[in-house]
Amino acid sequence: MENERNIAGLISEKEKSLALFCMEAALRHGAAQVRVSLSKSVLDTCGMLNGELDKVTHSADRSVFLNVFADDRYGTFSTNMLDEKELESFAAQAVESVRTLARDSCRRLPDPERTAKNATSGKEAGLYDSRYEDMVSEQRYEIARGECIYGKYGQGSDGIRLVSEECEYSDSVDDNFTADSLGFSGRHTETSFAVCSEVTIEDRAGRKYSGYWWDSSPFAGNLATGQCSDAALKRAAAQVNPASHPGGRFCMVVDRSVSSRLVSPLISALNAASIQQESSFLKDSLDKKIFSDRLTMIDLPGSTGKPGARLFDSEGVATCDMDIIRDGVVRTWYTNTYMSLKMGIKPTVEGVSRPVLMPYGEDSLLAGAGEIMSKCGSGIYVTGFNGGNCNQTTGNFSYGIEGFAFNDGKITHPVREMVITGNMITLWNSLLYAGNDARACTRWQIPSLCFENVDFSA
Amino acid sequence: MQTCRLAVMLHFKTDMDKQAFQDRFRVSIPQLERLVGTALSQGGDYCDLYFEHTIYKDLLLKDGEVSSGSFHIDYGVGIRVLKGDKTGYSYSESTEMADMLCAAKAAAQIAQAEAPDDGKRYVRHNPKTLSDADLYPVRTGWETCSPVWLMSMLGKLETLVRAKDSRAVKVLARTAWSESSIMMFNSFGELTCDFRPLGSIVVSAVFSENGVNESKTSSRSFRQGAEMISDRLLEELAADVVSGIDARFQAVRPKGGKMPVVMGAGASGILLHEAMGHSFEADFNRKGQSVFSGMTGKKICDSSISIVDDGTIAGNRGACNYDDEGIPGQKTYMVRDGILESYLHDRVSARWYGVDPTGNGRRESFRFNPIPRMRATYMENGQATKEDLISSVKKGIYVDEFSNGQVKIGEGDFTFYVKSGFLIENGRLTAPVKDINIIGNGPEALADITGVGNDLKIDNSTWTCGKDQSVAVSCGIPSVLVRSLTVGGE
Repeated sequence: MENERNIAGLISEKEKSLALFCMEAALRHGAAQVRVSLSKSVLDTCGMLNGELDKVTHSADRSVFLNVFADDRYGTFSTNMLDEKELESFAAQAVESVRTLARDSCRRLPDPERTAKNATSGKEAGLYDSRYEDMVSEQRYEIARGECIYGKYGQGSDGIRLVSEECEYSDSVDDNFTADSLGFSGRHTETSFAVCSEVTIEDRAGRKYSGYWWDSSPFAGNLATGQCSDAALKRAAAQVNPASHPGGRFCMVVDRSVSSRLVSPLISALNAASIQQESSFLKDSLDKKIFSDRLTMIDLPGSTGKPGARLFDSEGVATCDMDIIRDGVVRTWYTNTYMSLKMGIKPTVEGVSRPVLMPYGEDSLLAGAGEIMSKCGSGIYVTGFNGGNCNQTTGNFSYGIEGFAFNDGKITHPVREMVITGNMITLWNSLLYAGNDARACTRWQIPSLCFENVDFSA
Repeated sequence: MQTCRLAVMLHFKTDMDKQAFQDRFRVSIPQLERLVGTALSQGGDYCDLYFEHTIYKDLLLKDGEVSSGSFHIDYGVGIRVLKGDKTGYSYSESTEMADMLCAAKAAAQIAQAEAPDDGKRYVRHNPKTLSDADLYPVRTGWETCSPVWLMSMLGKLETLVRAKDSRAVKVLARTAWSESSIMMFNSFGELTCDFRPLGSIVVSAVFSENGVNESKTSSRSFRQGAEMISDRLLEELAADVVSGIDARFQAVRPKGGKMPVVMGAGASGILLHEAMGHSFEADFNRKGQSVFSGMTGKKICDSSISIVDDGTIAGNRGACNYDDEGIPGQKTYMVRDGILESYLHDRVSARWYGVDPTGNGRRESFRFNPIPRMRATYMENGQATKEDLISSVKKGIYVDEFSNGQVKIGEGDFTFYVKSGFLIENGRLTAPVKDINIIGNGPEALADITGVGNDLKIDNSTWTCGKDQSVAVSCGIPSVLVRSLTVGGE
């Protein structure tokens, strides 16, 4: 096994020069403004099936993305063929293509006043772990193998048999260098280490149930290893013997592992591009009280060393911590330079970084789903979503759910084949509690949630 | 108005100029053999190389103007080594020999894994050639087509939509296309080449009435050249996107519960893809994860039902001259006359089960190893008419547009979001419904099908399957009556 340091995933000075060459070429061919971005990544995975090595992969990617503004026209282009001759031809084609499009005077680079000035090494966001450089195949195999429980788990007295177990360890480095013709230059580098496991079990009657669990971290030392299969098995076993449950209006507790599913439609609806196209249920919402006082969500890109931290967005605009929704009042529409000019509103940033939904409890903060269930008494505890959708224009949603019924704060039985329906604005106005248990490994910091009077069909 | 420059590019798949493909990727047969030798140097059983050069372009009409467009170039080679049923995979974005050798060595590592000899071997498969004809002949190459003409067609589409329904306040129209040159070489010395066009056109509109907005999207996608963009297609798309909007403004959520469901012909085929098709993919069965594991040869539904996965429909989004392992495109019966006849195989599962691959080894790009994937999945016609099925239901629901389907492979549980449909009351369609879910269990729903219509329709929308990787597929179904499914409503 080779023992060289894994630095091939980091952008070299020569590659930076190639990116800048591409930008210069586009300008030479007649572009008025250009932004160039070079993305490079390396991903290694080691997969186990039923306790044995099943798959190893090594992926290395490197692409140049070009945003060309020419004659009040705009286009985006990319290539992974990175030599000067190819890039010269690529840049010429890009400018030629842009010139066939219709004029749009709102297309331009962001004002240099708004772009980040301090992202020079790529490591300022604190998401790079140099231990990545020392990772070798044997270590990957050992970590993946350490997740496995297949063979250690015989048929239980309850008649449950472990049918299949798939575990995977992966590590990666992503490095991005972005520059524009108005002088912006920024770099963002991050490492990631992850483990996951999926377990399928069979009960005495031959019915199958599956469970999944994972952990990840930008830092090798913070990765919780050796636990995924146990957690996945517990999640699968907990679903055995589901009972039918009548439909009706119930209190709904949503587990932290899936609660971001209900936040995602809000974030999408706050995108200025959706609002401008009248396909957002949050149009006309800026600075208005739309939701319950209990809902506060902030964006914290400045959380150095935590997933989602970043110093600049995809336009190079400097990020900052800000309110998204404060006490139910919408405070931010995600508005890039183009949408700002098109809609005549103040620009913000292009997309969310690290949304954090703040804990809420009437008397005191509640740690997690268990405490919330105790507080609520009875209802449905949702641990997974199975299909469904939110109509982005109206906010009406319908999701298949799986989870458990609970009574007197205690889980009574698993439920399946249930659906929740409603409207996003109504749902978030019925927020009762938000826990304090968001998983550290996720970029979206969404804790366990509780809503009252949710429509369930069964 | 400018029109497309016609370029005659008709060809037959056996006549692909293999030397031109080698030139494009700057490799020779001896070099390919050296790469395979390096990849197998650690003791692998089988190796294949997958070269890809894809050019992707799109144009977007928004606010009445085609003011944004893009193109993307992707180039590289994926190298796979198999040792038993274990996989080593690596790829290179450069076809310089040194870079490819480095990737081959990385993939070769899998052979160091302990793999007891199970006596099964990878073998050369004599292709079941159904036809030598190219399944996606191109009359007008996308690269030779004038972007100005395409822009004018998007403008025409917007005009048609607005003319058909004055409530349209926003119209987005987008066309995208790609042309992929694919070259595959394996350790049996087989060299296979394919040229794959894929075009799509999508229109989305937001309609406003009395301060309430509703939206609808319609699309078409084919493995064809730019000749697929025609006035007739624009007319069809515009009619499609405005159809049912009155009903959508009036639609309500019905009272939920268990009830009979009539699936409309065409787009309801997504249910077949998600709830049944994935469970027939051989990787899930090989690992014992699928609810249909160990059930080949068994009766799983009514004898009137046959379910097919077909890679041989010319011009279809799921058509494959060859799959991504070099196996010729085929039509595979998963269920014939109610009996589970075959899983969908790639080379790995075919070896494991001791059967021929079915041409389902597909991948998103050279960055991914192939796994069993569907192509065009549909149910064959039955005897009933759509009206027969609806009139047989006293109280139930008719659904004709779905999205966001999801299935749990082990359990077979599925959920689909219904975008539009109608209540069925006393055998007649009555109030329109929307924004509800249908949930059920794949094997149970299959066994619960009590009527199959005679109106099979393949839906040619831009369906993309996302099982770990994205691949283009299509689906279809005749009208079908399922005796009982859970409908999520008020």
